[in-house]
Amino acid sequence: MNAPTIAGQGIMAGRYIGQRSLRKEDPRLLTGRGQFVDDISLPGMLHVAFHRSQIARGNILSIDCAAARDLPGVHAVWLAADIERPGFEMLSLYLRPTEVPTPLLADSIVRYVGEPIALVIADSRAIAEDAAALIEVEYEELDPVVTLAQARSGPPIHPGTDDNIATEAGDEEVDEALAATLAGAAHTITHHVVHQRISQSPMECRGIVAQANGIEELRLYITCQSPHMIARWVSQALGYPNSAIHVIAKDVGGSFGLKNQPWREETATILAALKFGRPLKWIEDRYEHLTACPQCREQEFTLTIAYDKDGKFLASQGDYSANNGAFPQGADNNLAAHMFIWAAYKMPTYGFITRGWYTNTTGLAAYRGPWAIESLVRETAMDVAARKIGIEPYELRRRNVLKVAEQPATTCLGMPVDDITTETCLDKLLENFDVPAFRREQAEARKAGRFLGLGIAAYVEPTASAGSINFMTGELAQVRIEPTGKVTAAMSTHSQGHGTATTMAQVIADRLGVPYEDVTVFEGDNMHGGFGPGAAGSRQGVAGGGAAITASEMLAAKVKGLAAHLFNASPEAVSIEQGMVHIAGAPEMSRSLREIADIAYSEPMRLPPGYETGLEVQFRYMPPPMTMTSAAHACIVEVDVETGFVKILRWITSEDCGTVINPAIVEGQVTGGLAQAIGMVLLEEAAYDARGNPIAATYKDYLLPAISDVPVFEFLHANTPSKTVGGMRGVGEGGAIIGPPTLVNAIADALSPFGEVPVNLPLTPSKLLSVIEGRDIAGHGGRGAAAAPVAVAPAAAPAASAGEAQIDGEWKMTMSTPMGAQEMTGHFATDGTALSGHLMSAEGRQDFTGTVEGNKLKFELKVEKPMNITLKYDLQVDGNAIFGKVKMGMFGSSKLTGQRI
Amino acid sequence: MKPAPFDYVAPTTVEDACQVLADAGGGATMLAGGQTLMPLLNLRMSQPFILLDINKIEALKGVSRAQGATRVGPVTRQCEALASAELAAALPVLVEALSHVGHHQTRNRGTIGGSIALGEPAAEMPATAVALGAVIEARSVRGTRQIPAREFYLGPYMNVLEPDELVTAIDYPDWPQGHITLFREVAQRPGDFALVGMVGALALEGGKIARAGIAWFGMGPTPIAAAQAEQALLGQSIDAIDPQAIAELAVADTAPFDDHHASAEYRRTVGRRIFARTLGEALNIRKAA
Repeated sequence: MNAPTIAGQGIMAGRYIGQRSLRKEDPRLLTGRGQFVDDISLPGMLHVAFHRSQIARGNILSIDCAAARDLPGVHAVWLAADIERPGFEMLSLYLRPTEVPTPLLADSIVRYVGEPIALVIADSRAIAEDAAALIEVEYEELDPVVTLAQARSGPPIHPGTDDNIATEAGDEEVDEALAATLAGAAHTITHHVVHQRISQSPMECRGIVAQANGIEELRLYITCQSPHMIARWVSQALGYPNSAIHVIAKDVGGSFGLKNQPWREETATILAALKFGRPLKWIEDRYEHLTACPQCREQEFTLTIAYDKDGKFLASQGDYSANNGAFPQGADNNLAAHMFIWAAYKMPTYGFITRGWYTNTTGLAAYRGPWAIESLVRETAMDVAARKIGIEPYELRRRNVLKVAEQPATTCLGMPVDDITTETCLDKLLENFDVPAFRREQAEARKAGRFLGLGIAAYVEPTASAGSINFMTGELAQVRIEPTGKVTAAMSTHSQGHGTATTMAQVIADRLGVPYEDVTVFEGDNMHGGFGPGAAGSRQGVAGGGAAITASEMLAAKVKGLAAHLFNASPEAVSIEQGMVHIAGAPEMSRSLREIADIAYSEPMRLPPGYETGLEVQFRYMPPPMTMTSAAHACIVEVDVETGFVKILRWITSEDCGTVINPAIVEGQVTGGLAQAIGMVLLEEAAYDARGNPIAATYKDYLLPAISDVPVFEFLHANTPSKTVGGMRGVGEGGAIIGPPTLVNAIADALSPFGEVPVNLPLTPSKLLSVIEGRDIAGHGGRGAAAAPVAVAPAAAPAASAGEAQIDGEWKMTMSTPMGAQEMTGHFATDGTALSGHLMSAEGRQDFTGTVEGNKLKFELKVEKPMNITLKYDLQVDGNAIFGKVKMGMFGSSKLTGQRI
Repeated sequence: MKPAPFDYVAPTTVEDACQVLADAGGGATMLAGGQTLMPLLNLRMSQPFILLDINKIEALKGVSRAQGATRVGPVTRQCEALASAELAAALPVLVEALSHVGHHQTRNRGTIGGSIALGEPAAEMPATAVALGAVIEARSVRGTRQIPAREFYLGPYMNVLEPDELVTAIDYPDWPQGHITLFREVAQRPGDFALVGMVGALALEGGKIARAGIAWFGMGPTPIAAAQAEQALLGQSIDAIDPQAIAELAVADTAPFDDHHASAEYRRTVGRRIFARTLGEALNIRKAA
């Protein structure tokens, strides 16, 4: 049958959609009946612990495992070579080989403190740890590269590389026209933001139970963001059939971007289980989590904004760096931060350079709003700019915000945008918050020596990515009315606290016309239902919700068709309410869904011609590539100028996540994100010492916000339906994106009589007191202490031996792009200064012509994916090596390296 | 995070506990409330051969009267001390300080003696013992001795106890009814160890300071008595005290350090400020009374 017309768009108040339905997950979780990885115990299961590197950078001279192997209860002590597996390849988040090969266990060199070196299998975790402690490793220690500054000047941490740049895009040289605009503007400000390193700190750390079954068959209990994604990743990394990998993650205690994929320890445990034959369990403990787990943020952003005397934006330039650690889960230069930094504002022109750097620290992983620094740097810069010309910061936003009436529009980077409602959120916020009244209160308080501050920030984020990032596509709903009349749904969504078993049940009950209590949603097991990427990038409400709505409406249509046939009525006369099927004008014909279902399952001869038996429907919803979510927040703080302590007095949120399925769940998402924002601004820091040792190794030193640090938030919902089925917009990450600039702006406003507050997170009492007293109180012993640069031997510059270059021939080349490394083969033929040839890549063959000058060659190619852009290749040949840059239009530049075949 | 192997003993008498310690030759570690020791064991930062659990020794629990002092058994839970009407009447500042020790959940298990014996330099209980002039009773098979809290601490987590000694009581000397109490701490989150804090008591006779006990926490490697400030206060009329000047003297006795959470200069700056403010406010209240 055909899908019925979708009536779901813009549902504002349904029977269950929009209600604060109680969470279906809670009774089980609150009474200790959840099932997390460490709750799993399989017959014959053994335990894994790792011996980890004690130094940040060095060569391994010897490893002595004899004492560990002799310990009673130890079954195996394995090193890198012991778990090697032909065909295995460590993949990034993007399901591609990591940019630098990521070993599961370090063998000849170590690149961060905590890097796993040996894997112990023992009867218990305690014995495994006893054995791990008996392993002796002898090192030749080298000076580590810890900070971004050291990454820029220090030796490359990965052998065989020229520098520590993991990935790069944009242009170092500021475009001439842009430079001229910046120079000629009435005002320019240059604003520098330093974001500290963060530990994702889910309540449930990483963990896995891996069981090898039969031939090429695996059962994995793993704490993750999507069992389907894990199965896909493992299948691709191991070369196993996807359907042979059974992944179960019934309950997950938070993830925040960390658990998109298995990482070194989980994967090593899988390979060890395949080799050893018995089920193996590895549970990351909190010490491992804080010292050896992938971490996030640690970024620097310098933003220049030029504006005229009225505050109208003229031009902007950005420079971004991120510490990728030694082995990121995909080298990252945060191109998204540049693509979206001006999406909600009218900025005529923007240029940028953006880089990710390798260092001897744990690798970079995602964290709620991985590109959030664009909102932090932009919104805090705008407040500085507003103070400079003496207008209210919100007024500067109003003058520059991209209005709803001005859309669709194209951003300064050429990206088409539509449906951005930042203006709506800001208006709603200001209607509900009296700024002039606050200014009066602030002035009075200052007279009494109390320093209050107001921070307002606004933003937009792309949510529910579908097709715009390679692994994120549509979500699947399989909805069934069972013979009992109860409704079950197998969803490809997955909850790490999101409450999707609740929201999806609300949507299904609403669109199908059954009681909420009658709907059960199954997720967390890839053998239930079909593939879907699950949680990542604020997508499940939109993509999963759209799938559930459409599947439910298709199923309702099926019920109506059947009832119409049975009762000789027209389908339009049939309605479904609270699990009862009614025929308009014929109340005596009302039947329960159970009666209808019984016929559907048991009496095929009574079904309309062409009807399948049973009542089930499957629908995969592919939303638009991006769905825009906006918000504007206001926060009031008081800063104690005697101690530098910040107290949050009030926080009002005005977000537009379109159709709200369950306000309590939306508010819970915003609250959680804001709690993390408060942690990032005031408390948390995964700091390292100068030798690369993590120094926040327990929660005594890594300060998460406690319940007493998080205020009660006030919520305004703008409810502008999006263009998706159901009209939802993603809301998972927003609080963690807009929270930091809102709070920083409030603190900066409070302390504006003392000067500007350098945005160097976290804003500890020491740092704020330094601003208040105008002297360095934080000192060099405080956080973020600058470590000495690491000495580096001068690298041999690539010789540009003009004239003698041999360009003709075949070259194997790798281009680092925002979507991962692209492999290609180049065929070049020269004739004087003329160049001709073609590139062979996964996308096929492309021919080109270009020019040659000495050892330099230039040519251009047009591509259509992901959008129409011209790639400008600017390469140099040096002997058998080739290197250079490829300009990719709005995506900036990528590095290309390669060698002669 | 599993502890290294150890033997576990849980005697029920002080004598048996002392014998275990004597026999262990330094290889035993005492388990009281376990709020610090259990994480240290799990992190393998502490790897004792013998874990001596003193929770079953009834003689080490409870609050009682001693000669001119309130005697607190070391295994008295912090929550019990906090709820003790006797302590609230005799030593209100001890109870106030206790309310800043950890959280409800940790105080249900954590003990007074555990906190004092551990000697975290930024913790409230050691500094309160120093300020109030407490005496720590230690016992071993060799005998019993009384150690003034001011002589108890050697450095961070280090004290003068011999490996075979067990703390059997903390005696807080009586302070006169109506004495002035001083307490203020600055901590990043409620329940955290302090960045800087001060605690104290002042006894008055005829409008003059007759006795002063004040100590810092988070201001050096141990709790630190503000000895110069105490000396300067003695004999002063409360109308004549300059809190700023006393605070300067108090800070002069400290040796704060830089760490991950705050700089030494922050601790000095804010310490001076909270000392002066707390002292000034307490004196003003007394003057108004």
